[in-house]
Amino acid sequence: MSIPTRTLTGLPQLLSRPYKYLRLEWTSELGMLRVRTCVKPIQCYSLAGLTEMQRVLDDIAENPGLVRHLVLSSDVTGVFNFGGDLALFVLLVRAQDIDSLKMYGRRCIDLVWWLEHAARRGVHTTVLVQGDTLGGGLESVLPFHKVIFERSAQAGFPEVLFNLFPGMGAWPLTIRKAGFAVANDMVLTGRLFTAEQLLRRSLVDVVVEDGDGEEAIVEVVRSVDPRLRGTLAALTAQRMTAPITYETLQTTVDMWAETALTLTTRDLRLMERLARAQARKAGGGDEGAVEEIKRIELDTAWGELRSGNTGWGEERGTGITAWGALS
Amino acid sequence: MQMFFADLVVRTDEARRAFETHPVLLDGVAHGMTVERYRRLLLELYHVVWHFNPISAAAASRMADSHKQVRYFLYEHMHEESGHEEWVRNDLQAVGVEPEQTIAHLPSPFTRALVGYNYWAADRSHPASVLGMLYTLEVIASVYGGPFAAAIKESLLLEGERGVSFINSHATMDAAHMADLRKVLNTLRDEAAHEAVVESALVNFHHFTRIIEAV
Repeated sequence: MSIPTRTLTGLPQLLSRPYKYLRLEWTSELGMLRVRTCVKPIQCYSLAGLTEMQRVLDDIAENPGLVRHLVLSSDVTGVFNFGGDLALFVLLVRAQDIDSLKMYGRRCIDLVWWLEHAARRGVHTTVLVQGDTLGGGLESVLPFHKVIFERSAQAGFPEVLFNLFPGMGAWPLTIRKAGFAVANDMVLTGRLFTAEQLLRRSLVDVVVEDGDGEEAIVEVVRSVDPRLRGTLAALTAQRMTAPITYETLQTTVDMWAETALTLTTRDLRLMERLARAQARKAGGGDEGAVEEIKRIELDTAWGELRSGNTGWGEERGTGITAWGALS
Repeated sequence: MQMFFADLVVRTDEARRAFETHPVLLDGVAHGMTVERYRRLLLELYHVVWHFNPISAAAASRMADSHKQVRYFLYEHMHEESGHEEWVRNDLQAVGVEPEQTIAHLPSPFTRALVGYNYWAADRSHPASVLGMLYTLEVIASVYGGPFAAAIKESLLLEGERGVSFINSHATMDAAHMADLRKVLNTLRDEAAHEAVVESALVNFHHFTRIIEAV
């Protein structure tokens, strides 16, 4: 496929921006832009990370025909994305700042919205998940056309553990790909799922062995590229058939922000436990947020079994555990 | 139009994250600290806390009548913070530093830079700068204070509030302060005050990160 001359001028601009949290690679033969995220040491959707990602997407949109394949992956070993910036959430909740919470949420759904309409822009999107992806991290994966997980990757929406819910597209994106029952199971229980379990639920398209993800990307892109126009037209039609509206995303974000303002000290302490676990993993520890979520589930289950409460004073926990799901 | 507090959060987010993701702080939040380092941190904190009210008073004295709501806010805040250096002194005593050693401690150049900047900003730059100092200290206390205190308690096997009363109580107390601070920041309408607050928050995050780094 030939590239119009005017779009070639956009390439240096796209690739030369001084990104702090993204690493871009260009494969001209395939019109493939690789975006590797590295919000180090805690890989999450920080405000600056979101801004940089949006800049890349805007650059792609401003140079139609240049990028045919957008591929996202993480540069942080063992973590695709922990989701929202938990410390920022704690700050905004403590400040009771609903405007900033909504602003953060809208920046997230703007990315989701762009990806949702990538096919209309002539771009096929692929994501490779090689480690933990939680909450907003998983929401950001679901609008991609092709979702590849390495076998050891785990994912879930743990927000309900601290009395919140994933508000940046989890519901409509999960329902569309996997159905209402699966979405209920994932969002309302906060359980974590293995790559294989997500594959069985149609949320993941390909599961490969650890270390084989890069090869899988090339395979996907090379197989789609010769049939790109037809594939993109089909994907546009697919999303028209089961549309997600911006209004729904926005209303959900507003509801998410309002719910966040009701979080109690107990909820924020649980959020802080996850933040501490992220810090341990960022410091090179073996265990991170995923293990902490399992511990929180176990603590909750034990607390309820043994004393009818969760050890958080008068507060009651969510009482969830689903160990079979992880086996 | 975006409220000023939201603007402040966005414009200082990188500085906050630079503090949060500094290896020393990450390690402190994840694993706690040795008692020697925790003592050094509290000794520096003592001086930050001790100068908090004089800096606020200096700013209040220069605050124009057009910002009298900020002046009243500072009066109340100073009243609430009065005597909190005693809490730090008690925590230091709990981990083996006698009060006279605390008072005699010469703060690090980084602490002097932070305190010195805040006096200078209140006196020579813009009195609203003090709100940038408050924002930084309250973010640090309310967002990171709780997990840090938990890690210190675990690593030093401290019981109850012993040795962590200042950090732990401010983690909870400053939660309410954050909401009050947001309200007063959103009353600021002039550009000069906005810029002064943002600059001050950036400088305070920078110096506080250096203080943590050096202990």
